[in-house]
Amino acid sequence: MTSSNPDKLLLLILRLGGFCCFAGWAWVHLYWEGPYGILLWRDETFALAEWFGISWDEFVGTGANDGLVQKWLARIGWLYLILSILTLTVRKKSKVQMAFLMGGSGLLVVLSYAKYLAALGQLPIFIEHGSQMLIPVILVLALSLGVRHRATVITAIVAVIMVFSGHGVYALGYPWPTPANFFGMTSLILNVEAETACAILRVAGILDFVVCIGLFVPLARRSCAVYAAVWGFLTAIARPVAGMSTDLIHWGADQYIHEAILRAPHFMLPLYLFFLWKKSEDPVVSEASASLREEEADAYMSHS
Amino acid sequence: MKFVRLLTLCCTALLITGIADAQQNGKKGKAKGKGRAILAIPEVEKKDIICFALYTVSDNTLKLTAQLYPIPEGDTKTVRLEIEKDGKWVEVAKTEAIERGWTAPFRVEDWDDTKAAKYRVAHGTEATYEGTIRKNPTDKDEVIVAGFTGNSIHPSHGGDLSRQDLIDNVKKVDADVLFFSGDQVYDHHRHYAAWLRFGRDFGEIIKDRPTLCLPDDHDAGQPNLWGESGKVSTLSGAADGGYIQPGDYVQEVERAQTSHFPDPVDPTKIAQGIGVWYTNLNWGNIDFAILEDRKFKTGPAGRVPKQGPRPDHISNPEYDPASIDVDGAILLGERQLKFIDEWAQDWSHANMKAVLSATIFCGGAHIHGSANGRLHADMDSNGWPQTPRNNALRSLRKGFAFHYAGDQHLATIFHQGVDEYRDAIWSFCVPSITNLYLRWWEPLEAGANREAGAPDYNGDHLDGFNNKVTNYAAANPEKNPAGNILNTRAAGFGFVRFNTKSREIRMECWPRNVDVTDPAAEQYPGWPRTISQFDNYNPPSWGKLGELTFDIENPVVQLIDAESDEILYTVRASGKTFTPGAPKGKTFVVKAGKDAPDTVVSKEAKAGGDGQAVVLK
Repeated sequence: MTSSNPDKLLLLILRLGGFCCFAGWAWVHLYWEGPYGILLWRDETFALAEWFGISWDEFVGTGANDGLVQKWLARIGWLYLILSILTLTVRKKSKVQMAFLMGGSGLLVVLSYAKYLAALGQLPIFIEHGSQMLIPVILVLALSLGVRHRATVITAIVAVIMVFSGHGVYALGYPWPTPANFFGMTSLILNVEAETACAILRVAGILDFVVCIGLFVPLARRSCAVYAAVWGFLTAIARPVAGMSTDLIHWGADQYIHEAILRAPHFMLPLYLFFLWKKSEDPVVSEASASLREEEADAYMSHS
Repeated sequence: MKFVRLLTLCCTALLITGIADAQQNGKKGKAKGKGRAILAIPEVEKKDIICFALYTVSDNTLKLTAQLYPIPEGDTKTVRLEIEKDGKWVEVAKTEAIERGWTAPFRVEDWDDTKAAKYRVAHGTEATYEGTIRKNPTDKDEVIVAGFTGNSIHPSHGGDLSRQDLIDNVKKVDADVLFFSGDQVYDHHRHYAAWLRFGRDFGEIIKDRPTLCLPDDHDAGQPNLWGESGKVSTLSGAADGGYIQPGDYVQEVERAQTSHFPDPVDPTKIAQGIGVWYTNLNWGNIDFAILEDRKFKTGPAGRVPKQGPRPDHISNPEYDPASIDVDGAILLGERQLKFIDEWAQDWSHANMKAVLSATIFCGGAHIHGSANGRLHADMDSNGWPQTPRNNALRSLRKGFAFHYAGDQHLATIFHQGVDEYRDAIWSFCVPSITNLYLRWWEPLEAGANREAGAPDYNGDHLDGFNNKVTNYAAANPEKNPAGNILNTRAAGFGFVRFNTKSREIRMECWPRNVDVTDPAAEQYPGWPRTISQFDNYNPPSWGKLGELTFDIENPVVQLIDAESDEILYTVRASGKTFTPGAPKGKTFVVKAGKDAPDTVVSKEAKAGGDGQAVVLK
């Protein structure tokens, strides 16, 4: 392994995390539908449209045809598809691609906000999307400043904490109630009664917060990161594992697989932190050094 | 390094502060914003610990469920039911409150339903809650059933506004039965708290009349419900079938809402220990079948080819409807169909029949939800699966049952068709109390065979599943609801007046905040509409057998296909004459009797045949 390989691996993890996230959401938008209805069917949104001179029929359609809302909702999927490709093609000097990726992060914020509104303002549902919202930003930071730059690392830590605190609040069931499908997935996968599933979730919730705190404890952070990666992976694949069946058309793959894929940042970012901390106790190196390694990694990738 | 740690610690502190703040808000029950409902279990004094009580009387059995606020630790859980006799309260039953959901279900057999009785539920030495058990209104010509659905409490669409108009109107018409078709509770996690609020809102009218609350999807804690006999659902939206909430949560919901129903016909539980409650209630000479049209139904996700943006939505108008009518898909299930077949033949103590369920047997809307636009079909409706839908209608029409339902968030009147237009029962879907999710009945083509002056959306149509339906009314909301968030969103309620003498059924559909006794008050366009009981099975293609003249009033008449031995229908005739309708060109065995069709009247009756006098005494 060359000196640039560890950084290359870190960058690859971020790229893959971003790719999976955008690709999963592209699938949702192009095959199913994006969750924006609650944002668009509002007096305020229509008032804004009217301000731009758009009539009601143009906005939502006449009933016999689609309006701007339906047309553009479908088109957002293509943006996500392009963004997923950009996560693989973006390089240190690709300022335009980086700008698009930052825009992609904005799209994911809007999407998460829509889900938050649809959940009647449940804060954890927004927070738990932290890794998804931030992974494009982390990728851009990693490319522009370096995979070991303090800004990159801090943003990744914040993203992981967001996911695990959101999950933790839900798993503990306080102050927001545990989403009912958490019980169902746990019961089905582990073949346990609801009461046992509840106990398991409560323990998992506590561990989620232990992870959030452990990431700041030098001796514990690698263990926490690896736990977070494993648990993030297990919770991401829980949906297809619990739901897919040979009795279903395509085994139910079109219903469930993307649910795991778009959650890739939930385990990819902890994995990034684990490998980042694997070699050195000090996660932050000088900007110059990080930048140098990044350039090496970029050069390596472009020639491989 | 120090800076990094300081910054990350600050972020974490902010996060924890945010969560802690939210916890505090949650504790205080503060609203998080315009759209979120305030929902908390109030602390009440011991004397007010009984929130409300629901009851039914059927087959001389009174079943009453008292709903309590949490009983403090150390206090007795024993709850008593007392009846006023000669000015004194006499205990007739007592029970232990069930802690999960704090319900106290009572059962009193040998109940005399020929007279009204005052009751009170008592707990400890301080708490009492009084109401009236009505007498069975068999002496009334008209039985009024008030219908409600969709009781969202979220402020964004008026859910926080008072229900006093509903209370006042029910009292003004003195409705005999209350029917809440579903979604009494919209909170997906706190059924108990929301149910108590429902009780505070409606207890004043519920306590004095038989009340039927059918738990639907939101009551069970999910956006849609295809119960699949108690399977566990994990897919967002629940289209994979089953229940999202754990079985004990669903059991609590059903205990609160249905434990006062007449005993279930077949109490065999489904998966997760979830009970069943489909049954019938005979009241005022009307036999109500209470159906569970969600509990056994198959979920569409992965069972039918994808045709739209959600597994349960079909947006592609070019799709082949037959492709989703898949083998093995269930709607009511064998158990319930067997019940309906037997119920349709049983006319003891009944002049009319009605079926109550969550939703209607067709796709009753074209435009769904918010900005999602036109959908070709919605598999949440009972229009899907088509073959079981047709089988259900074939069974229900054998008893000339009128269908009363809700759930659609859009009030409609449909005359259902199976083999031809208008060959099955009529349905009235009531509007939502408050309308969370808008729908419109807006076919692209004008309906055929419309009445003179009727809007284009009336008339014969194929719904998105190719089911034959004939629309007579639709209370479409405004396209861009604003201002008055109740009525621009087509909120409201229904009354159905069953006249057991004239055998007429009058459907009324009222907007919110009107006085229904004010002559100037207007119903939604298309209402009121009055039909005959016999319109519930009167296909246009049929002919008439010869008139039967009986020596007794209101005999029960049954037609049996002479070739297949299949019962065509059973019905209680009105008066001493009856002219049975029947398909042309076929031969029928006609049976009749006072309360059951036990006498063969004719073995070779045909449409266009001669009349006959029948002696049954």
